Amino acid sequence: MKQLKSDACLPTAFAGLKLRSPLIVASGPASHDAKQIRLAERKGAGAVVLKTVCSEKYDNMRYWPRPRYKLLDWDRQINGRSKQFTLYSYEQGYSGTLQAYWDFVRVCKEKSDIAIIGSAFADATADWVDLATHIEENGADAVELDISSPHRPGSLGFETTFVEAIKSVVNSVKIPVWVKLAPGPDVVNQSVAAEQCGAAAVTLCNRMRGIDVDIENQRPILHGYYAGIGGPWAKYYNFMNVAETARAVKIPISATGGVMNAEDVISYVLLGASTIQILSAIMVNGWDVLMEIHAGIRSYMERKRITSLEEIRGKALKKIVRSDEIVRWSGEPKNGPRNEWD
Amino acid sequence: MRSCDGVVNLRTGRAMNGTKREYVGLNPMPPDFAAMYPPIAFVVEEYCIGCDRCIPLCFFDALEMIDKPEHKYRRVALVEPKHCTGCGLCFEACPTDAFVWVPDRSDERHASKGEGDLEDTNI
Repeated sequence: MKQLKSDACLPTAFAGLKLRSPLIVASGPASHDAKQIRLAERKGAGAVVLKTVCSEKYDNMRYWPRPRYKLLDWDRQINGRSKQFTLYSYEQGYSGTLQAYWDFVRVCKEKSDIAIIGSAFADATADWVDLATHIEENGADAVELDISSPHRPGSLGFETTFVEAIKSVVNSVKIPVWVKLAPGPDVVNQSVAAEQCGAAAVTLCNRMRGIDVDIENQRPILHGYYAGIGGPWAKYYNFMNVAETARAVKIPISATGGVMNAEDVISYVLLGASTIQILSAIMVNGWDVLMEIHAGIRSYMERKRITSLEEIRGKALKKIVRSDEIVRWSGEPKNGPRNEWD
Repeated sequence: MRSCDGVVNLRTGRAMNGTKREYVGLNPMPPDFAAMYPPIAFVVEEYCIGCDRCIPLCFFDALEMIDKPEHKYRRVALVEPKHCTGCGLCFEACPTDAFVWVPDRSDERHASKGEGDLEDTNI
């Protein structure tokens, strides 16, 4: 494996894989083309989760609606410097054929040294197994089961559909199986279920499903269906999802959602995540953001005198208290402009 | 006059050092994609103020600034039709609403309509 400059290489062990960095390019428009994988490699990513391929039944997911993105709350007058925005997305599955996807996996694996994770979506168990075995045969290092796509039909339930699929895929392939879950109150239970089914890791969390309304025309904006929403604000909810799950499962967690800078990555690690998946930041700030995040992590590690992120993983998690343990008033004198009575 | 190599990303303050240019388009598209879902972005030069905001936001390397001495601001954004995936991000970046949708000129069935057939879908 090629070594990067020292400020980019942060070796990470994750679910049986040896990655050169905990930063992973999440499944999406930044992992749809073999050229992007080489770019991700050059910018220091440890792995790439390829764009999700859908079974033939969901062929329509290949034909994305146009336009498929909208940036909500993006202040175009100040060129998006407001830090907060929402990427409202209708982009669905991989747009090539199944055969094109197998070739894509193989080419990515041949042309790059970083880990290549295939991603799949289906409903019938047989289709799941078919997609996962093809991904394995073409050389992927792991497969991520995207059971939580915001674009999936609403009728597919976790217990009714996906538990069986996870079990069958785990029994059919030798490579590690990651399960990508949706943010929500079920995330801990679903992670535990995925662990029991034999998943090697969980990815927390997918984009939320959301919708915005055009009040002048009194209809949903864009194409009328729910969209995948994400943005810097999504991190706080996912911090909690990661923290709660990290206490409940032993399998490693790949955290994703709202990561814009090194601070977000470190926060996820402090809450127990092992790898971090990034997408929106690359889309709006460019690929160089990967190198900036690496530099930020490296500078934090120097400041805290640590040599590996493993040393701080879960540190903040241990300090989360129960609600009845919150110290209401410690009695300590507090410094600050409003606390000068003593 | 600045050429496109000297463009600075106004949001991040960084020089746009050509990372976008290394990447071309998004492949593969499904068969008949252009025919089934025709619109791609097009810049109405009259409204373009040459502010560069759309350039860093185009994730598919479909936009570049070109020098245009006769234009009021001497430079305008240009969409490369082959690379445009119709994603709509440039519409979000533009402070003057200079983008409109046009039928995809890469598809023959729409080519006859030509560039004059602008469609403002007002997203």
